[in-house]
Amino acid sequence: MVALKIENVWKYYGDTVAVRDLNLECDDGEFVCMLGPSGCGKSSTMRMLAGLEHISSGDILLGDRRINDLAPKDRDIAMVFENYALYPHKTVAENIGNPLRLAKVAKHEIRKRVQEAADLLEIGHLLDRKPMELSGGQKQRVAIGRVIVRQPQIYLFDEPIAHLDAKLRARMRSELKHLQQHLGVTTVYVTHDQLEALSMADRIAVMHEGVLQQFGTPAEIYSNPVNAWVAGFVGEPAMNLIACSCAQEGNAVNLMHDGFKITLDDRLAKAALSSGERDLRLGVRPENVRLTADPDDGMIAGTVFSRQLLGSDMLVDVLSGGDHIRVRTDPKSPFEADEKCYVSFDFDHAHLFSAETGISIV
Amino acid sequence: MASRDIVQYDTGLSRLLSVLAKVFLAAYVVWTILPFVIMIGSSMKDLLQAFTLPEVGDWAGTSALVHFTPTFKHYVALFTEESFGTYLSNSLLASVGSALLAVILGTSCAYSMSRYEFRGKKDLLFWIISTRMAPVVAVIVPLYAIFRNFGLVGTIPGLILAYTTFNLPFAIWMLKGFFDNVPYAVEEAAQCDGATRFQATLMILPLVAPGIGAFLVLCILFAWNDFLFATIIGSGAAKTLPAATKELVQPQNVQWGKIMAAGVVTTAPMMLLGLLIRRYLVAGLTMGAVKE
Repeated sequence: MVALKIENVWKYYGDTVAVRDLNLECDDGEFVCMLGPSGCGKSSTMRMLAGLEHISSGDILLGDRRINDLAPKDRDIAMVFENYALYPHKTVAENIGNPLRLAKVAKHEIRKRVQEAADLLEIGHLLDRKPMELSGGQKQRVAIGRVIVRQPQIYLFDEPIAHLDAKLRARMRSELKHLQQHLGVTTVYVTHDQLEALSMADRIAVMHEGVLQQFGTPAEIYSNPVNAWVAGFVGEPAMNLIACSCAQEGNAVNLMHDGFKITLDDRLAKAALSSGERDLRLGVRPENVRLTADPDDGMIAGTVFSRQLLGSDMLVDVLSGGDHIRVRTDPKSPFEADEKCYVSFDFDHAHLFSAETGISIV
Repeated sequence: MASRDIVQYDTGLSRLLSVLAKVFLAAYVVWTILPFVIMIGSSMKDLLQAFTLPEVGDWAGTSALVHFTPTFKHYVALFTEESFGTYLSNSLLASVGSALLAVILGTSCAYSMSRYEFRGKKDLLFWIISTRMAPVVAVIVPLYAIFRNFGLVGTIPGLILAYTTFNLPFAIWMLKGFFDNVPYAVEEAAQCDGATRFQATLMILPLVAPGIGAFLVLCILFAWNDFLFATIIGSGAAKTLPAATKELVQPQNVQWGKIMAAGVVTTAPMMLLGLLIRRYLVAGLTMGAVKE
């Protein structure tokens, strides 16, 4: 069942287009992340869903109700804000209970439901405090409490954990995911952090410059990005995108680069030929690049530019023909800076993008 | 807020300066308090006693300044012979009425000025404050003419309107700062919680309450102490305390006892008010100034 439907939605601020012809459908109970850099239109979309911004054109349907012209209070939505937006003069209990108070729920019922929500979020002992006396993580829990205390049709989260420290963020990711599954309410979650999107979402909507780039499961987005922009944005460390030119020599299809010339395998060669494009970008994730000290056939020579220990992995930056190739390798990797080395690509997991349009060829 | 030490190390000069500062402050306190002591003392003395001054060098005679048999006859006379009861209520009505009106109008205007963007907003804001740049004396004559045409001279509503005219620009500027400091997201959150736009606005009013309170007091003080409007716009039927006190000075007879008592009656309520809300006043006036 479709819980939320965004149809041909545009948003203008003056002459600036913030959201361009957006179409999106969320299923009932689904956790959808809107992912993109700042200014990509994800927050505008969320604010249009909440009713905090007018929709320039298009329709938003919640269930089978068109909500374009409804005030936020009539939309049956609940939203968590990036800066928490708690009421500083109210206690935690009053903050959480506010939606129920406004809905004129009986006092004893409010108390019961606030307690339940607080217990679920492990802030039951803080109910009498004021927001000023809470830590960032606790404030964020209160903001979530204010949302889960009722059962709206949809939860909206606007970068709710962006201001927490890294450790707390990791914990909240798993807690939020668990909470959403437990409550089963359709959720739209806006973030600029691709790790948050990959780790939490059922489906991710990747946005860039107001345009929806790709809408799919985290695995699809990660393994089959539709264009070079998505490929470069999702994944950390980012995918290597190397500009090459494609040339056929006899039976072989080669990619030519200032630093190397490599022969494509059948899958990539077929796609490259049928696309008819000469200028391509080869996309390979750092974990699909192999680094060795001994040269072999079809290997690319380079020098180590820098190495970063990431804990469980080592990220080695190899310079070849003026381009940097990131390689994710063993943390015990012996390569030092300026050392000569060789890399090879795993073509099974490689992508080709049109250099002109950025669209994925394979 | 992070506390910090203000580090200072003593030198000969700084010690001397600190002693001089204390001497200056002591003199300043005497200078400020003495008129009140004389006013309160004289208001409770017989006229003859009030004007008794010791000879120069007669230090024992100074005790007469504080040792006397108190009498409340001037106060009684004020309220029986001079109908100061009416003037007191006029003062209260005019000051509290204008303060409330200025706060209600000022709060709504300041809210829109803080929340909405529109063309010419800066110019409008400047125009509003520019109305306070001319001294009252400069506009009192045209104001009088306008007020007379509307039959507002000598009425309490006329006074309230006059004070509101002068308090409103100040209210808008001061309260706008308070609203600017309240994140709009709080109102948005309230709307998502199920509040109407108006309910959401009401919900943030407690956050600007210290500012509104502080401003209310300043408005009351301004109107209460005003003399110019009171004599010109309020003259006759809407006499307030300062205007009425001035009339105790008559060409053939200056009624010092009553004047002193009237001074006490005028000053005491505001001093009490000040003492009661001192804490909030300071909080209110400094809150808008510092952003978190």
